[in-house]
Amino acid sequence: MSAPIPESTRTATAPSRTGGLRRFVAQPTGALSLTVLLVFVVTGVFGPLFVDRPGGLGSEILQAPSSAHWFGTDDLGQDVFAQVVWGTRVSLTVGAAASGLAILIGTALGLMGAYSRRADAWITTVTDLMLSLPLLPLMIIVTAVAGPSILTLTVVIGLFSWPEVTRLIRSNGMVVVAMPYIDGARALGAGGWRIVTREVLPAVVPLVVVSVLLTAARAVISEAGLSFLGLGDPDSWSWGRIMLNAQRSGVLSTAWWQTLFPSLAILLLVLAATVAGVRFNDSRDPRLKDR
Amino acid sequence: MVEFTVRRALRAVLTIWIAVTVTFFLLRLLPGDPTLLVVEGDMTPEMQQALRVQYGLDKPMLTQYWLYLTELVQGNFGTSFRQLQPVTEIIVSRVPWTLMLAGSAFVLTILLGIPLGVYAAAHRGRRLDRIVQMFGITGHALFVPSIAILLLVVAGSWLGWFPIGGAIDPDTRGLAAYLSLFHHLALPLISLVIVQLGPYALTLRTNMLEVLGEDYVKSARGRGLSTRRTLWKHALRNAILPALTLMGLQLGTLVGGAVLTETVFAYPGVGRLIFEAVGQLDYPLLQGAFIMLAITVVVANLITDVVGMLLNPRIRT
Repeated sequence: MSAPIPESTRTATAPSRTGGLRRFVAQPTGALSLTVLLVFVVTGVFGPLFVDRPGGLGSEILQAPSSAHWFGTDDLGQDVFAQVVWGTRVSLTVGAAASGLAILIGTALGLMGAYSRRADAWITTVTDLMLSLPLLPLMIIVTAVAGPSILTLTVVIGLFSWPEVTRLIRSNGMVVVAMPYIDGARALGAGGWRIVTREVLPAVVPLVVVSVLLTAARAVISEAGLSFLGLGDPDSWSWGRIMLNAQRSGVLSTAWWQTLFPSLAILLLVLAATVAGVRFNDSRDPRLKDR
Repeated sequence: MVEFTVRRALRAVLTIWIAVTVTFFLLRLLPGDPTLLVVEGDMTPEMQQALRVQYGLDKPMLTQYWLYLTELVQGNFGTSFRQLQPVTEIIVSRVPWTLMLAGSAFVLTILLGIPLGVYAAAHRGRRLDRIVQMFGITGHALFVPSIAILLLVVAGSWLGWFPIGGAIDPDTRGLAAYLSLFHHLALPLISLVIVQLGPYALTLRTNMLEVLGEDYVKSARGRGLSTRRTLWKHALRNAILPALTLMGLQLGTLVGGAVLTETVFAYPGVGRLIFEAVGQLDYPLLQGAFIMLAITVVVANLITDVVGMLLNPRIRT
């Protein structure tokens, strides 16, 4: 899997103009996406220390963006910039924690499916079933019943996001399991647990990293969607909730800033996580070099 | 072929049964007991008991489950907590709107995605190919309400090209009614297609590139067939299958997107119904709406699979 690229292939692809250009582009986008992610993390962690928590009623209602209110104000006179900054924390927390949960379940099931044929039949069936259901409506119901809170959102999104991870890890794990060194390990007397954790898992770790990023991106979208539908934590700010407020108070067309800035935040964060994941994946796959 | 269809149909039924079962027990086992909502605090114990009997909440859970299943098979989704009407009636009046929205988004995505994907694969590295690749990756990053609100504000409010909510102008008749229907459908539809198209075209492009490298395509070229004929007749036929399967798998996401779009445009489909039912904590309605959407997705997926098999040149009978 991680075999070095033969010298001949390398020289064969190098002269292709697009291949060279793409590799040139690949570096800056990778670096740029990481920088954007970092900016969001810093904003989420330290932002609320510098920006007052939005709340109460202000006198400056529905102000357009200005030097006093960078992202304008909403119909209660609250600063939208402050809402976006506080929302960053929630989006990042839910995104990261839900992704972590989904990765744990997904990787465990994926490895189990790749290694044990008996477990595989069940795991594949359940994964396919989950993937064929409309998950957003399902998440809506469960969140509504369990009572909206950050914890609920995290658990619900995590519990419904593992099938994609399972599929990815399983299909790649199967390639690894079929490799001669696994037979070698078995011949040396290694048990199933040892083979899976010591031999197969390390081989799929790069994929797990990619999955973390892509799953986190999807989790952020899911969180925003649920919050937009009124299922966010009522006590904390989130990007979806800012947009819901604009929709509820009927100021979508007049106060464009109230939906534009949270939208940009979602787009930037999700895009950065996706691009970082894709670039990371491409950078270790020599076959994709000239695609 | 018949066996394949039957097997797929059985699986579809199994999927729906699991969806029904999981939601039934989830709703009853989660901490926030939905059944308590019907029973209000200031009622006398006799009234509470009468209500419980009316909703069947006094029976053991497995009995309730069995009753729910038998009613469901007969098309009865129970009674709405808030609107005090049969859930089936409420949902059935909403389903056609969602079917029309999601269905036309599905078809339009395929109709636009195929030429885009084929063109991008045939002209690798050109501008359009770049654009397809870019949208293929960014498409996943788009938040449906963001796109929908952008369209609503710019094309609806500012430019005034399209209505900003609802599904039809009730005063129109005949041809004007149809025009009004399409006029109202446009923005929600475009929002969904924008989100779906990029990733779809990109998948088709990748499949095409794989197929174009295969021997039978090379031999078609070698026999002197034109580029266009090889591309559209020989290669596309094999590249389209995985793309169709992908589209079937994306149906769940598409319906999720429809829920969000309908909410933004106050479009009277099942999605908007869910949004309203969440606000009122109307559990039977939520459960019914989800099951209805699940049935829609699973049946559409079944149709996609069977169509895919009919199109597959390798299993021609």
